[in-house]
Amino acid sequence: MLKNYFKIAFRNLWRHRVFSFINILGLTVGMTACFLIFLYVHFELSYDSFHSKANRIYRVVCDIKTPTEVIKAGGPSWAVGPHITQDFPQVEAAVRTTDDELLVRKGNVKFQELNSLWADSAFFGMFDFKLLKGNPKTVLQEPLSIVFSESAAKKYFGNADPVGQTVLLTGEGFTAKITGVMKDIPENSTVKADMLVSMSTLTRKLNPGLDDQWGNYGNSTYVLLKPGTRPGDLQAQLPAFLERRNGTEMKKINMYPTLFLEPLKDVYLRSTRNGNSTGNINNVYIFSWVAVFILLIACFNFVNLTTARSAERAKEVGIRKVVGAVKGQLTGQFIGESVLLCAISFILTLVSTALLLPSFNHLAGKTISTGIFENLNFVLILFLAAIGIGLLAGVYPALVLSSFKPVTVLKGRFSTGTKGQLLRKALVIAQFTISIALIIATIIVYNQMNYMRRQDLGFNKDQMMVINTNGDPAKDAFRNAVAGLPNIKGVAMASSVPGGGNPAAYSEIENVKGVLQIANLDLYFVDFDYIPQFKIKMIAGRAFSPDFQTDTTQSMILNEAAVKMFGYTSPAQAVGHRFKQWGREGRIIGVMKDFHFRSLQLPIKPLSMRIEPNGCNLVAIKLSTQNLPKTIAAIENKWNALIPARPFSYYFLDEFFDKQYRTEERFGKLFLNFSVLAIIISCLGLLGLASYSTMQRTREIGIRKVLGASVPNIVNLLSREFLKLVAIAILIASPVAWFAMHGWLQDFAYRIEIGWWIFLIAGLIAVLIALATVSFQAIKAAIANPVKSLRVE
Amino acid sequence: MIKIEHISKWINLGNIRNFILKDINLNIGEGEFISVMGPSGSGKSTLLNIIGMLDSPSEGNYEFMDTDIYKLKEKQRSNLYKTHIGFVFQAYHLIDELTVYENIETPLIYQNIKSSERKAIVADIIDRFQMVGKKDLFPTQLSGGQQQLVGIARALVAKPKLILADEPTGNLNSKQGEEIMELFTTLNKQDGVTIIQVTHSEKNASYGKRIIHLLDGRIEKTETK
Repeated sequence: MLKNYFKIAFRNLWRHRVFSFINILGLTVGMTACFLIFLYVHFELSYDSFHSKANRIYRVVCDIKTPTEVIKAGGPSWAVGPHITQDFPQVEAAVRTTDDELLVRKGNVKFQELNSLWADSAFFGMFDFKLLKGNPKTVLQEPLSIVFSESAAKKYFGNADPVGQTVLLTGEGFTAKITGVMKDIPENSTVKADMLVSMSTLTRKLNPGLDDQWGNYGNSTYVLLKPGTRPGDLQAQLPAFLERRNGTEMKKINMYPTLFLEPLKDVYLRSTRNGNSTGNINNVYIFSWVAVFILLIACFNFVNLTTARSAERAKEVGIRKVVGAVKGQLTGQFIGESVLLCAISFILTLVSTALLLPSFNHLAGKTISTGIFENLNFVLILFLAAIGIGLLAGVYPALVLSSFKPVTVLKGRFSTGTKGQLLRKALVIAQFTISIALIIATIIVYNQMNYMRRQDLGFNKDQMMVINTNGDPAKDAFRNAVAGLPNIKGVAMASSVPGGGNPAAYSEIENVKGVLQIANLDLYFVDFDYIPQFKIKMIAGRAFSPDFQTDTTQSMILNEAAVKMFGYTSPAQAVGHRFKQWGREGRIIGVMKDFHFRSLQLPIKPLSMRIEPNGCNLVAIKLSTQNLPKTIAAIENKWNALIPARPFSYYFLDEFFDKQYRTEERFGKLFLNFSVLAIIISCLGLLGLASYSTMQRTREIGIRKVLGASVPNIVNLLSREFLKLVAIAILIASPVAWFAMHGWLQDFAYRIEIGWWIFLIAGLIAVLIALATVSFQAIKAAIANPVKSLRVE
Repeated sequence: MIKIEHISKWINLGNIRNFILKDINLNIGEGEFISVMGPSGSGKSTLLNIIGMLDSPSEGNYEFMDTDIYKLKEKQRSNLYKTHIGFVFQAYHLIDELTVYENIETPLIYQNIKSSERKAIVADIIDRFQMVGKKDLFPTQLSGGQQQLVGIARALVAKPKLILADEPTGNLNSKQGEEIMELFTTLNKQDGVTIIQVTHSEKNASYGKRIIHLLDGRIEKTETK
């Protein structure tokens, strides 16, 4: 019996090649999109879960309450890690890490290691990063111990064994010994490093006493709890722990930290605190939904085309019933056919996924998967899903088909297609609703991206080259040398540029009531040239000037947001008031207009600026557009002459600033791709239905033409019914998309308004695409010779 | 073999009851060859469909081989006709996607006969109908007469006791029609298969031993030869 079914299924597929093609193509495209999204979602969810103790590892984070604000810090103070293990037996281990960019040198080979990480010695005991060489218990114990990743080690030592060898930590001026080599840290880890340096280097050599600094922040602290420990219980005891250890100092500086435990597995997707790489659980949800929708569209195609074509199969059903088939057998047969179709699509999906994976990795900006067979379980899941889709999508058509009465079908004049017409219409509407909603979402995402790129940021970032000297002693000499080169419009030095990080300082600023108010204030160290070169506008007081001797030590400039925070109603009111910050005190000399020093997703924070040559490691060079390569070469020459120990590297500020939107940009691109896919699949279904419905109406069209209908009349007749469906879809999709995207936009402090024109454009796109799809068939039918079509009966 | 009592079938159009069959009584014994005649719309096909259990009457009793079939469950009824009745249609009604061989084989598949047995039975009947050379062709590659032969072979393959033929020669030329009628006669005489055929043609009707004339849903007259 199975053989018979298979045979007939294959022959049917082949005989109705066009329909089979549409069905298989639709399902393949849908399943490929879903599979890729599945891989993406799985990857996003897999972050940090590869540690065998992942369920017991928590990140200690910290809210710091000042009289002015609550700072959401990604880590506690340096003292918490060492003391928490002493005070709580249920804490098995604690590891502090902190990122750095260290300059490493081995003979003539030198690299700025952008992914350097200082880490406590329990690092390899807590995390499952695999050590290829070295003892996990001791590699990070002694000061000046280094563990390289496999690929970093290769850069310095080639294929030789690095363990026991030394490199020079140039910036720090120390020779450090390589004690181990670890496998490269996988992409789905929030802890990232190419080079680990023992924390004891800091705590015992470079910064003794760090272990007892309760007011110094800037590290990530992870704790490993003993099995059976409830994190909530521990967390509840932490306020008392801080009070006991640090109560008096907290009162003195008027900053009160509260510690929280974040499960390691939540750090990547769910934590809102800053970290190395963060994902977004919402994006994971959004893409999961998109996958479901695309799959639904593909399944609807299948149901639609199959039920629409049911008349053709009706005769077969009648005959089979007459010769003895019962309904169940026929249902089985038709479901089997749909499963077969899905099985074919499954194979094609594997092929297309394999082909698309590299570009998808590129699009996602990371290696989601190295190959479809990387995890055979996924292939199995896909296979089961394909069979499941076959069963689900096949059930309804199979029930419709197998319920035909032989007497009616075999009489020959079986009126077709009326059955399930309503359902087909509903499904087409659903498909287009999804597609149109995706179009609207895509337009909004792209608009928001454009808006962020075009928005006046309040400073000038064009033709600005930035070089990090990492505090090299020759940085001022370099600055002066560059200033003397041709085609240089200006050179400024600073601790920070917009779009990058900046320090935040414990500050006391005189507020409107005349009281010194404590705040954790963002801080830029700059030089005299910075404000004019970045074209930052002053709205009260004056900018820094070398004419005032006091400006180098006793002057501060605030932005509008800061002035507001301290209660002043006008910027001018704040000028002349006192400040204390990191050992300096003096007066506020001016107020600058707010500029976006962070991404437009975030509101503009209060900011302070001071002159502090020691803190200025960045050199910002304003270039003229003329002869750019030559100018850059000249700058590199100066660098190599003055700072030969460090590799020359630079970036342009505009690109650097836009990098903040990379996640959104990827999101937008992925969205665009998937909505295009959704539309293609929907149109495939529409094409199939349209061609089928015109086929069904061949006779009607013939009669109408004989009675005098023109070609446009006919095209209009045939297109109208589908356009009606698309119009209904637009009406449903618009409010739904508005609601969803309104929510999405809330993540942006500066965002576009969703204008009515967006819905208009999306609707027009959908109508045009649908019209193009349908009218092709309609025109073909309309220009056909009526004599031929009427002879058919 | 077949006992039909007071069978009527009607459809309601508005408030008016339109009779398709009205109070039909009929006894058909095993081994008979019956022709049903009558003008279009006289209810011939409906009667045949009711006998073949493809259709059910609005009222009346029907005993097939001494079982009251309207007391049977759907599945039992289906089992009954699947083993005892073979159908032949005017439009042949072969499955276009299957070859001659596979078309003939289909009824056996639904009777759960083993593959090896099926092969033997189908080979046997193909041999008998002299279609060995055509067994791998598809229906569309055959002439009408040949298609009808396949249709009859398919009806016979499960060794039914009753063949119901609805205008089996209606789409054939007279020579092909004659051959089919000869075949029916042989089947009836040699194999003892009961045959009921609906026909328009006097000539073909005369192959039957009894001719039932229908008019407006009633039996007008019965001729016996």
